[in-house]
Amino acid sequence: MAGDQGGCKSCGGLCGGKGLVTLKDGAWTQNPLAIQVLGICSALAVTNKLENSLVMGAALIFVCVGSNLFVSLLRKHTPHRIRMIAEVAIIATFVILFDQLLKAFYWEMSKQLGPYVGLIITNCIVMGRAEAFALQNPPILSILDGLANGFGYAVILAIIGFFRELLGTGKVMGHEILSGNWYTPNQIMILAPGAFFALGIVIAIFNALKGPDPQENK
Amino acid sequence: MKGNVYTLLYAFVLGTTCALLLTAASQFTTPYRDANAKAEEVLNILTALKVPFEEGASSEELLNVFNGNIEEKQRGDMTIYEYSPANGNGEVLAVVMRFAGPGLWGPVKGFLALESDLRTIRGLTFYEQEETPGLGGEIVTDDFRSQFAGKSIVDESNKAGIVIRGGGNKLINGVDAISGATMTCDKVQQMLNKAIVKIVENE
Repeated sequence: MAGDQGGCKSCGGLCGGKGLVTLKDGAWTQNPLAIQVLGICSALAVTNKLENSLVMGAALIFVCVGSNLFVSLLRKHTPHRIRMIAEVAIIATFVILFDQLLKAFYWEMSKQLGPYVGLIITNCIVMGRAEAFALQNPPILSILDGLANGFGYAVILAIIGFFRELLGTGKVMGHEILSGNWYTPNQIMILAPGAFFALGIVIAIFNALKGPDPQENK
Repeated sequence: MKGNVYTLLYAFVLGTTCALLLTAASQFTTPYRDANAKAEEVLNILTALKVPFEEGASSEELLNVFNGNIEEKQRGDMTIYEYSPANGNGEVLAVVMRFAGPGLWGPVKGFLALESDLRTIRGLTFYEQEETPGLGGEIVTDDFRSQFAGKSIVDESNKAGIVIRGGGNKLINGVDAISGATMTCDKVQQMLNKAIVKIVENE
């Protein structure tokens, strides 16, 4: 326990106070997809299979953590006028890095995700976290924030991907689950309209579980 | 307020660092990406030629099948690939050639396989296209591509060329076009005929 206390001091009350709030905000109370409704373009486009959704979620976690860390490290040295250009440069570096690795070691997936990995550069979640959080906060806290937001995005994507693949093809990760005479795969779920239905329903359920926003009534 | 010189210097250093990082990453992944691209090409050639191979075969397995059955040859200014089964008697069963041309939105590229008589289509694949999804993009579907198998590349009067248009499947050298994708079909017809004319004239 004594060791824990020391750790808390060195990271500025991370384990008790701000760190937990940051994690909870990113993944739950301020979930980027379900509450802020950001980055839905990729969430609609790549969620027709669970596997695609998982890889896309991993990509966003990687980019969000990496860019948050470096934006935060450089925050005191970055000239204010070109801070956004600097953020985009850092984000783009991480996105291209992930894209290259995917092309080298996971070619099949790279083909299926097509341009959407590259489009993470323009994902509002990444840029938003760099601008709103990493510019004002120390590196470790920024990593946590990137992790929480990336995780919040990835989980919603996985939920949508799971149900779209299950209802649309009767499979999960390529394994047949719903089959036989009693279930006919509902093709609309793997097409664009299915993405809108699934995302809408997930956002509705998420908001219902979370309860009304206390700030809205003020 | 920091000065302009600092801002420029910062942008320069950051830009250079990012560029160097990405160059290093690209250098590191190039051999892997090249191998993937090669496997993709091999897969397309094998599919167009209808060479049997196991579904979900790895890159190395595909390359083995390719090296065992396919021979690369020059014919005029064209590279063609001849298919003679490894367990056969050296007889050429089919040949495949590349075709390419502008589509509606971007380049379209693919492989056209002919039977050994060089007059009958065995199959074709597209490995690059950016046509409208759901309309022109349907050229990659089995429904469209399977129409070509068995079609002649010359018409009754021995004139080289195939036809892609509505009701075209009644011709010996024609297939049905895709509704709503007339432009794409016209362009695919043009690029196929360019390759076909070359084959017929190079006899």
